[in-house]
Amino acid sequence: MSASSEEIKVLSARRMAWMRFSANPVAIMGALMVASVILAAIFAPVIAPFPDHAGAVIDFRNKHAAPDATYLLGADKVGRDILSRVIFGFRVSLLLVAGVLIVAVPIGGGLGLLAGYFSGKIEAVITGFTNVMLAIPPLVMALAVGNVLTPSLTNAMIAIALLWWTWHARLVYRVSKSVAAEDFVEAARLAGASHWHILTREILPNCIAVISVKTTLDAAFIILFGATLSFLGLGVQPPTPDLGTMVADGRQFLPERWWGVLAPGLAIFYATLGFNLLGDGLRDMFDVEV
Amino acid sequence: MTSGFAEFLLRRIVGFAGVLLVLALMIFILARVVPGDPARIALGPTASAEQLAELREEMGLDDPLPLQFVNFLGGAIRGDFGNSLISGRPVAEEIAGLLPATLELVLATLIIMLALGLPLGILAARYRNSWFDAVLRIVSLAGVTMPSFLFAILLQLGAAYYLTDWPILGRMSREFSDFSGATGLLIIDGLLAGRLDITLDALRHLAFPALALSMSGIGQIMRITRSAMIEHQRRDHVQTLRSFGVPGRIVTFRYLLKLSAIAPLTIMGLEFASLIGNAFVVEMVFSWGGFASAGLEAVMQKDLNAVMAVVLVSGCFFVVANLLIDILIGLIDPRLRMKEAR
Repeated sequence: MSASSEEIKVLSARRMAWMRFSANPVAIMGALMVASVILAAIFAPVIAPFPDHAGAVIDFRNKHAAPDATYLLGADKVGRDILSRVIFGFRVSLLLVAGVLIVAVPIGGGLGLLAGYFSGKIEAVITGFTNVMLAIPPLVMALAVGNVLTPSLTNAMIAIALLWWTWHARLVYRVSKSVAAEDFVEAARLAGASHWHILTREILPNCIAVISVKTTLDAAFIILFGATLSFLGLGVQPPTPDLGTMVADGRQFLPERWWGVLAPGLAIFYATLGFNLLGDGLRDMFDVEV
Repeated sequence: MTSGFAEFLLRRIVGFAGVLLVLALMIFILARVVPGDPARIALGPTASAEQLAELREEMGLDDPLPLQFVNFLGGAIRGDFGNSLISGRPVAEEIAGLLPATLELVLATLIIMLALGLPLGILAARYRNSWFDAVLRIVSLAGVTMPSFLFAILLQLGAAYYLTDWPILGRMSREFSDFSGATGLLIIDGLLAGRLDITLDALRHLAFPALALSMSGIGQIMRITRSAMIEHQRRDHVQTLRSFGVPGRIVTFRYLLKLSAIAPLTIMGLEFASLIGNAFVVEMVFSWGGFASAGLEAVMQKDLNAVMAVVLVSGCFFVVANLLIDILIGLIDPRLRMKEAR
């Protein structure tokens, strides 16, 4: 087969994947939702009606103001605009996601790659350790970490990342093990390629699809998890606007002042739903199992 | 059951014991190596140096770390986690008193998860790609993506506006507060004592927390059951049954369901870890007064002994649940019993 026909084949496979994705209205919706969350987070100071309300502003005259033309989603217990705080809250959520994934994906993926490629002792040790870590209830572990460290965004990241890599290790291990048995890997070995070359150039590219789908779905669960931690008072501390903390604060004023809970609560739901729909769409597009 | 399956179970038990051992080691390291003196937490900032030294001696905090770990492990196996740094009472005693509340909540949640998740998944597979399937897909996605505390709060909010006499806090009404039974599970105790009113009251209190806690599991089980049913429908043995003229209903319920239940059961085992985590939140929202909310309090007050106990007991919960699920899957799936015999 000539090089040019090979190239056309690759292109068309890619185009077909894109066609599968773009023909899926749910996936497109997910992508738009994720894009809106990311844009809102980046341009929060420009979009938010009251950017200074992200801080420790107090305006008791508008305490618990109901949703109206000025405060579209109402105001909180010290009179701050809830919409502005929700927009800044996305910032904190996405920071948490980025912080956790930057640590968890390389560590988990790397260990999974190694375990799948090298059989024997390395495989046994890594899979054994991963299985043990998988058996630890994440929130319980986060509570334990929260107990010894002071609650903050960084420590919430540490607590989550400490367990999050296990899922990536498990997933990449499965793919890497099956790819390592393929002929082209054997061929590379016979041609004298180093372990490093085989791992990064032969096996890793085959894991990219799975990793990217998993990472997208992860974003949703990390937002959920971070919100749960801060709802319990173990995450981001005031006055930094955090969606979970806002729900916890608003809960004290139920049932009359429902907007204090509904706005940040539904914002969490919106973000997690978006990442989930996008992740499902990517999964269909790459046709992989996660 | 074959001896091969017994061997398989034995291997799982050993594996789970390993899990608990590593968990114990991790939590021990976390509690001892990270700064913060347990004796100081117990006595408060005004304690004198002699008092501190005395308590450190009593708690064995001056022993070498490996010895401390062995002592901690030995105690944990006997169910002795030391005294709470805050209340001074034995931690094991406090936890044992709260465990039934959590057990009742978790069991009810599991029942709801299966009772709703499995049938809905089957229906979604049967009417695949119809509007019904689409609605169920949205419902299951909402279950997976919405935080359980939000569900809990929405249920409370709904009750506050539309079901004003429905209980939204605690495990039973105040008028029954002097009632106590042998098992601590109010529903069962009420039945045992012949007090139907108490069982009914407990059920009413249980409904919302259990529903809030089960939403994400319902969604997961529904999704997995649906795809498992669809996958198995294409298999040869199912096609054979159909071509023999076996009615669709019997194929679905006697053959397909059995096969398709394995995947959701496996998922339930893994899900159990997040179920325990979410129980902390739901118990807090509903003032459930169980083991999970007590754990949260222990964390807030930096009661190290209680935290270590809570983490280990949660680990045990997870391990036992997974063992039970393994047994269940072994009962359903003869292939597993045979394969593992090798």
